[in-house]
Amino acid sequence: MKLNTSFFLILPAVIYVLAFAFYPTAEAIYLSFKSPHGGFTLFYYKELFSTFDATKAIINTVIVTVGALALQLTIALIVASILTREFFGKRAFSTIVIIPMGVATVVAAVAFKFIFETSGGYANTILHSLFGLNVNWYQNSLMSLFTVILSDSWKNTPIVTLILLSGMTSIPKELYYAAAIDGAGPIRRFFYITLPNLRRFIGISLILRGVQEFNIFALPLILIGDHPPLLTTLIYNLYQTTFPEVGLALAGATVLVAFILVFIGIVLILSGR
Amino acid sequence: MKRNFFLYIGAIIVGIYFLFPLYVLVLLAFNKPEYTVLTLYPSLFLQAPTLNNLITALQGNAFIDPFMKSLETATLVGLITIALAIPAGYGLSRISRSIAYPILVLLLVTNMMPGIVIGIPIAVDFIKLGLFETVEGLALAQTLITLPLATFILQGTFSAIPRDIEYQARIDGAGLFHRLFSVLLPLAAPGIAAAFLISWMFSWDEFTYAVLLMPYHSTLPVTIYIDVTRGNILAGIAFSLVFTIPVIILTFALQKYLKGEYLAGGLKG
Repeated sequence: MKLNTSFFLILPAVIYVLAFAFYPTAEAIYLSFKSPHGGFTLFYYKELFSTFDATKAIINTVIVTVGALALQLTIALIVASILTREFFGKRAFSTIVIIPMGVATVVAAVAFKFIFETSGGYANTILHSLFGLNVNWYQNSLMSLFTVILSDSWKNTPIVTLILLSGMTSIPKELYYAAAIDGAGPIRRFFYITLPNLRRFIGISLILRGVQEFNIFALPLILIGDHPPLLTTLIYNLYQTTFPEVGLALAGATVLVAFILVFIGIVLILSGR
Repeated sequence: MKRNFFLYIGAIIVGIYFLFPLYVLVLLAFNKPEYTVLTLYPSLFLQAPTLNNLITALQGNAFIDPFMKSLETATLVGLITIALAIPAGYGLSRISRSIAYPILVLLLVTNMMPGIVIGIPIAVDFIKLGLFETVEGLALAQTLITLPLATFILQGTFSAIPRDIEYQARIDGAGLFHRLFSVLLPLAAPGIAAAFLISWMFSWDEFTYAVLLMPYHSTLPVTIYIDVTRGNILAGIAFSLVFTIPVIILTFALQKYLKGEYLAGGLKG
């Protein structure tokens, strides 16, 4: 196969991606600095941070991202460790832990909306019958963000599990046997063999999921609207209220892109590549 | 024995966490409203199950219209995706890895661009182009999400086909397109089907582009969002349940292709 023909075949996909991903992103950044009269302006950014309190939205987004990543990695490590063992009921278990992948984000959000309600709801039914409690899950912004983290982790832990599992199965069994003979217990084996060997896979899941956490949109929109706002729900709100004037929304979008680039940079450095 | 005890405890807790929201959805769909949305503490058990909620919600155009929109969009996304990903995947499998790798990374980076960032300028452009609120426009945008993964799957599929088969066909006088259509495509059929179905499924679930590019008469996810947040709760729940069934079936059918290696993409290097 000549090189030229191959490039000719790849070209349509590359052109498509440039036209539908890179061009609009560049357009978004360009338009966010362009005043209606044509010149350069920082007006939209000043508005964004003074009137619309983008700082709070940024802090909330970081809280959700860090919280959701921590929770997903923890659960995924537990589930993947369980799945590397042989036990009765393993097939059923491995089916159950992959189910959320097949449930649309919107549907997951609907289910969690009825689990966590301002008063009552399914979570409160359990708490009420056991302890006589009734918790308002949205009484402050931290609690609201916590419900978002919990719901998002339900939906997205399976992907992290699958990535970590493919990492765990690639670790040679001999390492564990050798460590066991040298007297290392299961906990030390986990911290000194499993974790170091999983480093790259953890890095991959952090990048993949982290970027998606910054972009998290449908779930908070349905669960909490924009109280408190995340970057995405703030952008969407600005877009809806100011359309067809999109300068403000695009300034928010540019901030989001900047955060994602910084995040990818940090993870790449930390995972040693 | 003691270690297995902890293993089962862990498995049971995780199992409950993963199953409970689905159980809630079933309760909401099949219990009478008195036991679900109309009471402060909804019942945790099925009390006198009924099909009335579903039957009422699914009658008429309120369900059929968004359902057809979703079906058309998802099918079109699948077709556009494989039309772009088959040649790209084949081309990438036939050039050296040092050139193919940067192109795959380029495709995967597009997956990291936020839908809401890309969607807003596209919405403005689509209004000028007359693609706003159309199935074609939405499908073109959603293909961004599906193309990288589909290309990656097909690159793997084509790489696995021995080059000798192709050389043989060439010696027998088959041209490039003849080789592609009558030799390679039949061999790659399982991979192509998987790429199509995964793209179909991603589009079926997609929300961000749908709500930005087709806000008024939209697909099922947007309709569910509007129903649930504007008070038409029982309809939203019924749609959610019907909407989820094809995706769960596809997820299990495609389990083989939803491996960590694929999902991690070319990042593994």
